[in-house]
Amino acid sequence: MCDQTFLAIVFGPCDKCSNEKPLRAVYIKSEQLSYCSLCVEMMATEGLHENETLASLKNEAESLKGKLEEERAKLHDVELHQVAERVEALGQFVMKTRRTLKGHGNKVLCMDWCKDKRRIVSSSQDGKVIVWDSFTTNKEHAVTMPCTWVMACAYAPSGCAIACGGLDNKCSVYPLTFDKNENMAAKKKSVAMHTNYLSACSFTNSDMQILTASGDGTCALWDVESGQLLQSFHGHGADVLCLDLAPSETGNTFVSGGCDKKAMVWDMRSGQCIQSFETHDSDINSVRYYPSGDAFASGSDDATCRLYDLRADREVAIYSKESIIFGASSVDFSLSGRLLFAGYNDYTINVWDVLKGSRVSILFGHENRVSTLRVSPDGTAFCSGSWDHTLRIWA
Amino acid sequence: MPRENKMKELTSNSTTSISQARKAVEQLKMEAYMDRMKVSKAAADLLAYCDAHIGEDPLIIPVPASENPFREKKLFCTIL
Repeated sequence: MCDQTFLAIVFGPCDKCSNEKPLRAVYIKSEQLSYCSLCVEMMATEGLHENETLASLKNEAESLKGKLEEERAKLHDVELHQVAERVEALGQFVMKTRRTLKGHGNKVLCMDWCKDKRRIVSSSQDGKVIVWDSFTTNKEHAVTMPCTWVMACAYAPSGCAIACGGLDNKCSVYPLTFDKNENMAAKKKSVAMHTNYLSACSFTNSDMQILTASGDGTCALWDVESGQLLQSFHGHGADVLCLDLAPSETGNTFVSGGCDKKAMVWDMRSGQCIQSFETHDSDINSVRYYPSGDAFASGSDDATCRLYDLRADREVAIYSKESIIFGASSVDFSLSGRLLFAGYNDYTINVWDVLKGSRVSILFGHENRVSTLRVSPDGTAFCSGSWDHTLRIWA
Repeated sequence: MPRENKMKELTSNSTTSISQARKAVEQLKMEAYMDRMKVSKAAADLLAYCDAHIGEDPLIIPVPASENPFREKKLFCTIL
């Protein structure tokens, strides 16, 4: 099965003529491109084609960037918060810490919920990855990774495995077993190999494929069973720090954010970047799709969170206050998309009204930076992880 | 000989940057010519989605404490 996936013809826009055609990989001076068959033929004669110089191409790029901004500005007829004026304001929020998960010996860096809305996997700086039952706060599994700074962890959709990675530049999958005699670390499978640290990972709709983001500036899609690289995504100019898959069942896109201040939306089949947004002033630490899949939010070191609409192709809201000067490390939406929860480096969690752009609540409790935040799959609670070694469940 | 190699290096560097620049131009062309919708329409759709789902959002319209496993006051420890 994995052989079939690997040899599947990629259908999509050709890198050269932009036509939708079956594509093939082509190597020009050791760089991989995807050309349609016609362009492969044309490329053979291309060496001599020089009314183009590097300078003229750069000028063309600059003028295209200008045109892009113009096109986007033409459709900017109103602001989101103006349209949202007619929406009822939200009432008072009473959200408290309902559970505190203690057990990590060092900074908690990442966490993820299981689809059963109850189990959580979390990873920390000391190399420990723990699976918790959030109702009872019991630890169900624990594994020690051979590296420190496990920056990424994810729960498989089936609930039968977890993936994690960090400074080891790899993403490893551990099947979860309740057999007391079995050592979890023994069944570990190394899936992804990057040339720099792993910053984020996520299973796709099944246990069979994993999407990873890395400090080497690329994202990649891997087959879990064979460890084969299925597709790689090049385009970020610096470390990629986060990614999120589009919510739909048939979804074939994902968004990534990086240290180059860009958020990029990718087509998983062709490896091509479909849209990119560059309005943040600093590293983008977290990206998350709006539940409908038509927009996504980002949290950045510039102390703002922003909402980008994919169909309008622009930023439509900024969530910021003069009093907030620390970076946002992690964002997530509530079930309806009306609330945006954002964890900050000043130890707080701010709750924003997505439509009106105003802050509805601040949550205090953590004693150090909030590094990760996810809403549970059924929306009844959200979990935050912090450098204070604990995770908190809020509801 | 060494001069030839240097020339080759220069050419291959500039060819790589030319192909990179060409790719950047292609990418920008694709992005510039994509189909967009007006912000007013996109915003209206976001509002509509929120409206349709806000009733089921347990963090906004709280479900009774007995149904929210995190809010209920169940005791999970026994006194020995």
